[in-house]
Amino acid sequence: MSISASTTEAPPRRARKSALLRYWPLYPAFLFLGFFFLYPVILLLGLSFVDNQGALTGEHYSRLVASSTYLKVLMITLKIAGWTTVIAILAGYPVAYLLATVKTSTRNRLIIWVLMPFWTSFLVRTFAWIVLLGRKGALNQWLEALGLVDQPVAMIFNFAGVMIGMVHALMPLCILTMLSVMENIDTNLTKAASTLGARGGQAFWRIYFPLSVPGIAAGGMLVFITALGFFITPALLGGARETMIVQVIIFNIQEVLNWGFAGAIAVLLLVAVLIIFYLYDRLLGLSTLSGESSLAAQSSSRANPFSRLGKFLGGLFIEAMASICEKAGAFYDHIFPRKANRPSRRHSRRVIWGAGLAIIGFLALPALFIIPVSFTEAGFLSWPPEGFSLKWYEGVFESNVWFRAALRSFIVAIFAAFLGMCIGVPAAFLLVRQSFLGKAAVFAFLVSPIIIPNIIIAVSLFYLYSKLGLTGTTVGLILGHTVLAIPYVVITVMAVLKNYDVRLDQAAWTLGASKLKTLWLVTFPLVRAGMIAAFMFAFIISFDELTIALFVTGGEVTTLPKQMWDDALLRVSPTLAAVATLLLLFMSGVILGSEFLRRRSKQMG
Amino acid sequence: MSKNRIRNKLSGSKVSRRRFLQTAAVTTAAIAAPSIWTSARAERKIVMRDPGGPFTKGFGKAFYEPFKKETGITVVGLQGAHEPTGMIKAMVEAKNYTWDGSLLSKSSHQSLVNIGYLEPIAPKGGPGPNLSKIPESMRTEHLMGTDVYATLIAYRKDTMGKNPPKGWKDLWDTKGHPGVRAIRKHPFDTMEAALMADGVEPKDLYPIDFDRAFKSLDKIKKDVAIWWTGGAQTSQLLKTGEVDILFTWNGRAQVAIDDGAPVELVWNQALWTFEGWSILKGTPKADLVREFIEFCAQGEQQAKYTPYVAYGPTAPDAYQYVDKERAKVLPTNPAYLKNMVSVDTDFWGKNKEKASEMFNAWLLS
Repeated sequence: MSISASTTEAPPRRARKSALLRYWPLYPAFLFLGFFFLYPVILLLGLSFVDNQGALTGEHYSRLVASSTYLKVLMITLKIAGWTTVIAILAGYPVAYLLATVKTSTRNRLIIWVLMPFWTSFLVRTFAWIVLLGRKGALNQWLEALGLVDQPVAMIFNFAGVMIGMVHALMPLCILTMLSVMENIDTNLTKAASTLGARGGQAFWRIYFPLSVPGIAAGGMLVFITALGFFITPALLGGARETMIVQVIIFNIQEVLNWGFAGAIAVLLLVAVLIIFYLYDRLLGLSTLSGESSLAAQSSSRANPFSRLGKFLGGLFIEAMASICEKAGAFYDHIFPRKANRPSRRHSRRVIWGAGLAIIGFLALPALFIIPVSFTEAGFLSWPPEGFSLKWYEGVFESNVWFRAALRSFIVAIFAAFLGMCIGVPAAFLLVRQSFLGKAAVFAFLVSPIIIPNIIIAVSLFYLYSKLGLTGTTVGLILGHTVLAIPYVVITVMAVLKNYDVRLDQAAWTLGASKLKTLWLVTFPLVRAGMIAAFMFAFIISFDELTIALFVTGGEVTTLPKQMWDDALLRVSPTLAAVATLLLLFMSGVILGSEFLRRRSKQMG
Repeated sequence: MSKNRIRNKLSGSKVSRRRFLQTAAVTTAAIAAPSIWTSARAERKIVMRDPGGPFTKGFGKAFYEPFKKETGITVVGLQGAHEPTGMIKAMVEAKNYTWDGSLLSKSSHQSLVNIGYLEPIAPKGGPGPNLSKIPESMRTEHLMGTDVYATLIAYRKDTMGKNPPKGWKDLWDTKGHPGVRAIRKHPFDTMEAALMADGVEPKDLYPIDFDRAFKSLDKIKKDVAIWWTGGAQTSQLLKTGEVDILFTWNGRAQVAIDDGAPVELVWNQALWTFEGWSILKGTPKADLVREFIEFCAQGEQQAKYTPYVAYGPTAPDAYQYVDKERAKVLPTNPAYLKNMVSVDTDFWGKNKEKASEMFNAWLLS
């Protein structure tokens, strides 16, 4: 791992004032989240400690533990989020690896397909899965027509359905985070290993894989905590048992108005996640994410047995994988003796391409499916499309509500993402480059906005905004979405910086560049992919968000998800498919266009 | 009238001061797209939350537009969250009236009445001539029923038409009426359905015997293919034939039928309740909303939303104005209503929390 030299560079004991100054990059994040997140949320969660009369009580918590139901629902939630994370990492890794190791132009073309799930709203996406995988769905129709099955296969309305929907929705997050880390891995290292006689598999497991671990850690964490907050997908694609804890919280807030109890459940969720964070930190070390110097990690590992165990297991895993590859490779060579110099490498490339394309196909499937459906004459999303009609597109273009909603969503998302970057990036830099007491706690605080369910944030913000006169305003919405954007920015940027070689900065300094200039001309260009990914995540989070939008604006500010939801109220009509198709074309156009411009400017330069 | 005007002017000036601050805050941003920052507040205007979609359309034709024509008061229909009670609680506590009134189901309204967060709908002098004609069973002190909706069994004629199901018992009878089933993932309606399937007479439904209801549900649990959570989902399931039989709100099933799905409704022993207009406690525009509510109690107006929303008008004379064909699918059609069962929202108001906890525990058992 790269040596974090800034810790050694800093004089051991500075004056108190400069110590305060040293942490300035954290202040914007602390101030912003303190005011727009911590303060209002604590007020709301505080309700869980008082009864109707305002007297201190433990009744909500004793009720919480008295019934085993809530703990069961919590375990189900953790199980669903956990499996989603595991599958997203396992399936996402080959895709990220493929993207990281192909030509830039190929990569940009492939990324468009990876991003497809982002541009189809969660509602359309989920209904697309129902139409695709249902008992009377497209896939079952084909399977039966081919004679492969007699009975329709139950692919959704069970645990598998939830997995399909959630992995599909969250895998792009995982892929892009891993990709932004992999892009910074020096390919010469693997080549060096090969020249020293390591077989492809050996070189990968011993060199490449350990370097990509920060990406896995960050991607996995993003997926895990985002998954905890999912409820529409599990509700629509799950069965009797797939109840998420957020659904129970929403029920208590919206239907029975027992906010104290809702707060208690939210606290339970928060505590559970913090315990998981703690174990993760002990076992793997938050350093996989935040990049403490390896020296510091070693000294701390000496102190705690968990971390030593984690390191030992990790080492064992890599050792095992490497030797399995070695044996398998040798076995393969034994059966098919090598003729030319490198046929086996080409072979493994083919496997990676195959796996990568299959997974990308899975990601793009609902989007591709929605396009033909948007031309149907039927009044519902259904397969096969009936006839051909442009009426849904006419409906979209007839009034300007869709256009205005889309424009507003764009503006809100861009401002929220921009603000999130301004606040999150400095904090991420500090977290990676400095080591200080309570770093894990700071990290937990910065990412907590995605652990606390959106509905809790929404209610809290409403109270705060009422005092500030911000309810029903676009500004209020932007600020609310910024709260959600910050964690995504922090985690993604930290992951990229982890592998960043600080010696490059130091070289620039010794050559006379100022700190700012170094940042601008050396650091930022090198972590560009990570920055873009962070911005994109922040953008998407805002672009697809409904709960906070509805609550803090009371429906006065129409965003695209709200308009879609409004339209889907009585039926999920092909209008939504038409809107999704237009959005898909537009966003893909933007990406291709910017790519074209970039290449042209490169050629001219 | 004049009093209202003064009050509106006063509240208007408050709003404009607030908006001034906001405007100051957004100037930089506003340069980007000045036209889309408008907020929906102004004088002589009330904001009513409705469920959006076809409701906004239907209520616009039936209530908002003609009321504006008659009184000059603008009514803005804003779509709010699915269960707006949480938002209303927040608005009343913060004294921040994004909405002045809201369409609420009788059961949601009950939760808010319990904590005293709704205004009475009648003016001080008692209900006006239109409001007093609405049957007592379709209004309360705090809620004027605009429409009655039914929870009923809907089935696909193409798969179950040969031996059509006639009631709740048939929904439970998986051998006599084979087919893919969906049940609501919520204790509401599901408890009543389970009891009637077990032979409980409608008059003996309340208070709900939860033990018996869950025992009845045990019999069908393994045969339930889908546990639905949202109304739009049920329309989709019926239309695509994913499910052969389920129970849902009549309006939801009607959407599928209107789109050509071979679906039949079972009106016998359907459960009915209503939703309607309420006024948020303390809103400065309460009197304007009362005026609006009195207007909405006219049968002639109510009839105008029925082409968009297949729910039943509450005014007794409304059916004079409803299209004859359409009247066949509306729950307040006298031919259906007499065989239907009224949901006891008082009971649910007191037992919602307990029931939900038991239901979740049962699902996981």
